[in-house]
Amino acid sequence: MFLDLDPPIVNASGILSFLDIFQLLDRKGAAIGGYITKSIGPRKRLGNENPIIVEAASDGRPTLNSLALPTQTPEEWLDELRETRLARSKLIVSVNGVSPEGVEKIIEMADPFADGYELNLSCPNLVPGEESVMAIVGRHPEAAARVVRAAKSATGKPVIAKLSPDTEYVDVGRACIDAGADALGCGNTLPAIAIDIHARAPVLAGRTGGVSGPALKPINLKMVYDIYAALGSPIVAYGGIMTWEDAVEYLLAGACVIGLGTFFAHRSTPDIVRDTDALWSGVKDYLKGESLESVIGTAHRTVFDLNGKTP
Amino acid sequence: MHIHCKITQNRNDGGNNHTLFLDYAFDVQPGQFVMAWVPGESEKPFSLSYDNAITVKDLGWYSERLIALKPGDSIWVRGPYGTSFPVDAGPVLLGGGVGIAALLVLAKRAQNPTVLLGGRTAQDIIYLDEFEKAGTVRVATEDGSLGIRGIITDLLPQEGKYYCVCGPDKMMAALKPLLPADQSFYSLERYMKCAIGLCGQCTCNGYRVCTDGPVFDGVTAEEMTDIGHRKRQKSGGWEYV
Repeated sequence: MFLDLDPPIVNASGILSFLDIFQLLDRKGAAIGGYITKSIGPRKRLGNENPIIVEAASDGRPTLNSLALPTQTPEEWLDELRETRLARSKLIVSVNGVSPEGVEKIIEMADPFADGYELNLSCPNLVPGEESVMAIVGRHPEAAARVVRAAKSATGKPVIAKLSPDTEYVDVGRACIDAGADALGCGNTLPAIAIDIHARAPVLAGRTGGVSGPALKPINLKMVYDIYAALGSPIVAYGGIMTWEDAVEYLLAGACVIGLGTFFAHRSTPDIVRDTDALWSGVKDYLKGESLESVIGTAHRTVFDLNGKTP
Repeated sequence: MHIHCKITQNRNDGGNNHTLFLDYAFDVQPGQFVMAWVPGESEKPFSLSYDNAITVKDLGWYSERLIALKPGDSIWVRGPYGTSFPVDAGPVLLGGGVGIAALLVLAKRAQNPTVLLGGRTAQDIIYLDEFEKAGTVRVATEDGSLGIRGIITDLLPQEGKYYCVCGPDKMMAALKPLLPADQSFYSLERYMKCAIGLCGQCTCNGYRVCTDGPVFDGVTAEEMTDIGHRKRQKSGGWEYV
């Protein structure tokens, strides 16, 4: 299995984010086999002012966010990487994929501490006035491939290329795999906006953001389904995985690793330990002794074609 | 989700402390906080000092903006969030600076509280008459303008069933070794972004203050060496306090 994650569950980059949180969850025994850092960039960046989140509401209004890639300096990250040890789980360093040179430098710095990397080619968020990483790199197969090649030249460790659902993702994914990516992250949040009717203004300080959680699930599930059908590459799935049933859907569509993001909302550390364990137990119970590998992508084998068969 | 509120009263409580009363009462447990948003400005965490009010101390550009709000002005609030202080008989409440505000709901709901308050000067000791109505109050100020001249640790030892602390990080770090860990609760303050446990910004030794806290039991607080030591800034990098 990709990266030998046990269990094959990760957090989404930008969620939980920091090494001290990973260390605590690892020590408390959360069922998370790999922790992914927030995206490290080439220089300190503050990201957007608050509000950075639109909270889901009981009437079905979804979760949106726009942090816009805040990051401490690479040197500050290095200090934290040096003082962090995970006993059970793997550490995956996410790198802001906006430039090949920046990616190479950050990977060289992090390599003694990382078990693998995820290249963020797909963040839809921006500080008003800039372009998003998705717009600069993630929409362009050639640009994405350059970033992947830079990463693979800097490390022998596995590299995930994280793609956006709002792109020609099969083309971008194929370019990334051809450039040496070991897996594809499917996918980031989907560009979206929320407007407050009393303020008559966007809620997010970044104006637009990315929608996540249950609203994103059918979209990214199709992305996984399409990528698996076209490329057959290992897939790390993200997008509204809130229950073990959601996780199984993604496995059947073709994912081999389950990514959690909005799942963590309002969950304390003990809640995360209990509920990740319940999610993974639910998947194992479903498998009833079948191997995880054997069910990956099985939804592609059972296709009912009723065209022409009904009156 | 934000609740669109109107300011009903902006009360100056001495010095640069203001209580903003809202036309909405929250279902609040003592110690919980809300996120208050002014469009075009920012959104930051505040303690609920009443079920319908937040306390703002003029500490920076955003609190200045809030303090300028007038009755009838709009403010958008989401929450309340986080853990709370236990409500029982005989607690000792220890508050410093604007952290005093987070203890007022508890003082009114607990039975026979003893309240120890500390500040630089008399103006920092907010809500004094309301605390005195709720229980026994003792005060320490650094300049001696109210109560004894000294700091809050000079008011100890104090007998009590349990201890609830809210104040600056340095004060809480100083109190930790003086209070029984298994009978103490500490309310922490950190830079917050999402406030619902997602972004990790408000971490203290890996605990997310918004969701694991803001109120931590003393045994957990004992292992939190970041209290009085460091906080994450907006970029995520550490700021040493």
